[in-house]
Amino acid sequence: MSDADGTLFAQVRDPANRPDPYPLYARLRAHPVARQDDGTVVASGYAAIRALLHDPRVSSEDLPPAEHPPTGNPVKDWIVNPLKDRIADRHRPFIFRDPPDHGALRRQVMAQFTVARVRGMKQRTEALVAECLERCAQNRTFDLVEDLAYPLPVTVICELLGVPREDEARFHAWATQLATALEPESRKDETLRACNTETFDAIADYMRDLIREKRRAPADDMLSGLATAKDPEAGRMSDPDLIATAILLLIAGHETTVNLITNGMLTLLRHPDEFARLRADPERAPRVIEELLRYEPPVHYRTRLARAPIPFAGTVIPEGAPLVLLFAAGNRDPARFPHPDRFDPDRADNQHFGFGGALHYCVGAPLARIEAEAALTALAARLRAPRLAEDPPPYRDGSSLRGPKRLRLIIDAIA
Amino acid sequence: MRVVVDLNRCQAYAQCCYAAPERFVLRGDEMLVYDPAPPEAERAAIDRAVLACPVRAIRVEPAAAEGTA
Ligand code: HEM
Ligand code: SF4
Repeated sequence: MSDADGTLFAQVRDPANRPDPYPLYARLRAHPVARQDDGTVVASGYAAIRALLHDPRVSSEDLPPAEHPPTGNPVKDWIVNPLKDRIADRHRPFIFRDPPDHGALRRQVMAQFTVARVRGMKQRTEALVAECLERCAQNRTFDLVEDLAYPLPVTVICELLGVPREDEARFHAWATQLATALEPESRKDETLRACNTETFDAIADYMRDLIREKRRAPADDMLSGLATAKDPEAGRMSDPDLIATAILLLIAGHETTVNLITNGMLTLLRHPDEFARLRADPERAPRVIEELLRYEPPVHYRTRLARAPIPFAGTVIPEGAPLVLLFAAGNRDPARFPHPDRFDPDRADNQHFGFGGALHYCVGAPLARIEAEAALTALAARLRAPRLAEDPPPYRDGSSLRGPKRLRLIIDAIA
Repeated sequence: MRVVVDLNRCQAYAQCCYAAPERFVLRGDEMLVYDPAPPEAERAAIDRAVLACPVRAIRVEPAAAEGTA
């Protein structure tokens, strides 16, 4: 990993490269595990990513300690907020936890993500998509991000969790503010961190009350389930863990799903033959969506920490090194996928990293598949002569959760 | 059709259970139980399960009786 260009990942993060990072990924893959000038080690080859995903020396606990920014109020700065920070550090959301804690928390969430509950959201999701399209029925142009993709996942997860409908609007605002919380870049930005901490505190307060209410009068929803169920080994989930979990479910499924829908429509409009085929045969949707998760994944990379020296392909990843698992580069590795840069829903073997892999494989994958399928099949069926108002569209800043800031479509009509 | 799951490969990700709940069920945390001969009418759901499995552990083959037709 020595003679490689150590600035490639910095270039990946540069917003100028957001519309098309794939040539950079190809250069990174020349060294499937590459050390960058700042000490970060980037895995971009399929086999390397896979090995590291499964390696117990690779930790997901790479979140810096929680830290409320100073407020000037001594009681808050010296007592209340440090206490909140200590609790936050001890009860991180399980996406940032390693075994054994991770397993118990994840198991309890999976127990609530029942097949019946998730599949029960299918019809509801289709109805929500139809409502969004109804609202735009008179328009000849609309923004897929704002008019459909952005509101959908928040409404779906709120209904699944059991957030009262009248409070949903607050969740939409929180979700928008917190969307950046999973973006590794945001940890370095002071204002963003301050704003996120404030929002976290607000949701946490709201959740604490809602959980109390669910315990008092449990309903058939995930939050009631999480608040009342007892795991045979771990017992009942503590309130701070429950709050962290609920917030994780809200933000992990937000911009990711938005990106799948918008990247999906963008890709389909760049491949009009595939768009036509989907319209003619909605049964193609699952193939289209799996290929989207490979070809234009919503999550380009996740970060990790090397807990011990890890020998790899003749070199050693040093202990303590920050790691980047560049899923989107592995998804285009020619050593794993034939003609990787071609969008081909019919490819036979499509074992992509769109939902990650191993212990942290996406909990919400079945729900995300339902939402993306509802949105993309409805768009294919109902938009008449859709075309892109701008290509490439403007992108949000995030290089990990990468997706268009808006996706303006011009249409003849909505059927 | 005949469904074969490579149970050594299967990591109990449960994705197939969401796609075709009548044919794939996880017992406890770990063990997948499935219907090796689902009715032809469920082809679409079974295909979904095949596509959704993160480790590509599920294979669909024509039933022996269907021969090579
Ligand atoms: C298209 C949409 C989605 C994509 C592409 C996606 C992608 C991912 C990826 C790549 C990971 C692995 C993270 C890692 O290894 O560090 C992950 C984890 C996770 N996702 Fe998703 N996700 C999506 C939707 C959702 C939804 C809708 C939910 C919740 C309702 C959700 C909840 C989670 C949770 C809780 C984790 C953490 C799992 C763990 O740490 O064990 N995701 N997701
Ligand atoms: S989706 Fe694949 S790995 Fe998961 S339970 Fe089914 S067969 Fe096993």
